[in-house]
Amino acid sequence: MENMLTQTAARPLPTGAPLTATSQPVIHLRDIEKVYQTKTIETVALNRVNLTINKGEFVSIMGPSGCGKSTLLSIIGLLDEPTSGVIELDGRPVQSYSDKELAYLRNQKIGFVFQSYHLINDLSVLDNVELPLLYRAGVGGKERRERAYAALDKVGLSARTNHFPSQLSGGQRQRVAIARALAGRPEIILADEPTGNLDSVMGEEIMDLLLGLNQQEGTTIVMVTHDEQQAHKTQRLIRFFDGSQVS
Amino acid sequence: MIRHLFTLIWNRKRSNFLLMAEILLSFFVLFVVSVLLVNNYYNYRQPMGFTSDNVWEFNINPGQDTINRKETLRRLVQELKATPGVAAVTWTSNTPFSFSNNNTDEYRYKDKGAPQTEIFDTDDDMVKVLGLNVVAGRWYDSRDDASSRHTIVVNQRFADEMFGQESAVGKVLTNDKHDEEWQIVGVVEAFRSGSDFASNDPTIFIRRALQDTARMSNTEQATLLVRVQPGSAAVLEQQLVRKIKAVTKGWDANVNTLAENRKDKLKFVMTPLIALGLVGLFLIINVALGLFGVLWYNINQRKAEIGLRRALGATGNAISRQFLGEMLVVTTLGVAGGLLLAVQFPLLGVFGLATPVYFMAMLLATVLVFTLTAICALQPSRIAAAIQPAVSLREE
Ligand SMILES: Nc1ncnc2c1ncn2[C@@H]1O[C@H](COP(=O)(O)OP(=O)(O)OP(=O)(O)O)[C@@H](O)[C@H]1O
Ligand SMILES: [Mg+2]
Repeated sequence: MENMLTQTAARPLPTGAPLTATSQPVIHLRDIEKVYQTKTIETVALNRVNLTINKGEFVSIMGPSGCGKSTLLSIIGLLDEPTSGVIELDGRPVQSYSDKELAYLRNQKIGFVFQSYHLINDLSVLDNVELPLLYRAGVGGKERRERAYAALDKVGLSARTNHFPSQLSGGQRQRVAIARALAGRPEIILADEPTGNLDSVMGEEIMDLLLGLNQQEGTTIVMVTHDEQQAHKTQRLIRFFDGSQVS
Repeated sequence: MIRHLFTLIWNRKRSNFLLMAEILLSFFVLFVVSVLLVNNYYNYRQPMGFTSDNVWEFNINPGQDTINRKETLRRLVQELKATPGVAAVTWTSNTPFSFSNNNTDEYRYKDKGAPQTEIFDTDDDMVKVLGLNVVAGRWYDSRDDASSRHTIVVNQRFADEMFGQESAVGKVLTNDKHDEEWQIVGVVEAFRSGSDFASNDPTIFIRRALQDTARMSNTEQATLLVRVQPGSAAVLEQQLVRKIKAVTKGWDANVNTLAENRKDKLKFVMTPLIALGLVGLFLIINVALGLFGVLWYNINQRKAEIGLRRALGATGNAISRQFLGEMLVVTTLGVAGGLLLAVQFPLLGVFGLATPVYFMAMLLATVLVFTLTAICALQPSRIAAAIQPAVSLREE
């Protein structure tokens, strides 16, 4: 089986969007391969992926279900190791980072929006959003609270701060997951279908929020989406395609 | 972080409550097992109250000889005492480490009944033969010949239980019918006569004199305890046996050393003790496994949470600290409940054991429970934290 990576290099930029991307690479993937091995089957989820993402870029990734988008994102997000290949973050291969340094990078640099949200059911919405700041030295309780409120406000959930995830709709949970990624004010946001569960109006709003972050704060964003329209609003669209095999 | 910890514990109160209950129960089982084990150890470490080295026990059977038994015995004791190498001889109704005992609760002081009390009828030389440690008053002697009451010496335990802070010396005990009286002339420190693991039970020594004709029945065998010079050997033993034959003209006699008897008795009490120890060990392992299972399951349920925290920037150590912290709080609550229950035992005097035994057992059970829960909290969270976050995140 073969995964193909098609890069559409010259996409027209959305009208009026200032060019925030630089030519300074933050993420660089070289010959990344990911093979999932189970008892019965071997799945090649990523097959020799080469990809460079520059600082301040807003990239979207599209492709059919099961083609390895989430896998790619979790490797970029330092949540999983590739079977082979090299990932460089700010020019340094991540294999050389210690466990502590990796934790630091995940905490300070990267904000991850998971496809399946991953909220802690035993914590309130507010506590969930505060979580990344909890692992950051030098951020006091008051500041944590304020930044969590601000992030929840941005996704329109300030009225739900004391709810628990089980008391929220799917779309609301998704927005909590987005707020959690925003609260840490990361340099890089990795969003796995962040609007997948939202109605079109809400999806638009989140999209605008991300665009705003990208343009005003220079946040580098990699977003997986199934929405062509949204994808076209970003600076670069990468298409992932699973060649032959479906497991 | 501390606040976060308490928020988490509070929000998970239902499952934490179950954990707490499990910990409380485990603590309690460990406590009861500990009490049994600690009690034996505690007894073992207490003073015996006497020395059994260089003491020989002669069991003398007069057989059909009913004439002048008392007189013969009196002469025998004198002859033995006069033998070189013999330090002291006493005529006693019972000996330490024997397999039979004689006890009663017939004594009373004013309105107060005595506890179950071990009784030894002995003569004036018992104190010398066994090296008893008299801590108040004196041992009985010829000065008591004229007494109209029985003369007795009690051990400190008896004195404490009967008179508390008051001095026992001079007190007069009676029985239910008020037709006999016992005057206390002295107190000995302890008398753990049962075995190395026996407790220091309330004991009284009642004076009997060979002059007193009332106290040797026709069926009674005579038991003599003889303290010999250190290093005395078989030669002296032969000599003493020959002397017994000569003086008594054919009474039967056999000899043991108290040291041997002590060993025999130890062997005898060790068997149930080892069984108890094994049952205790089995219970501890059982509780440990139960606790381990519950805690392990609890933390395994939270693998996704661990993955998420790792993804958001928690280090492996931060994860371990969090789970350790949570378990510490829950365990403390569970143990506190258990201690509240356990402390009722000494307060209500359920088993009637020495108070330090309960507290040592509480300490032991507490240490065991905390160690177990710490391992149970650390081990699974360590393992989970070492997995790639993406992998543990999938465990939902
Ligand atoms: N833990 C795993 N073990 C085995 N196979 C896996 C595992 N995780 C993913 N895969 C396989 O890897 C391939 C890529 O999965 P991935 O989740 O990256 O797809 P995706 O592009 O994100 O799909 P979707 O759009 O449905 O989210 C799939 O074929 C999937 O079955
Ligand atoms: Mg996916």
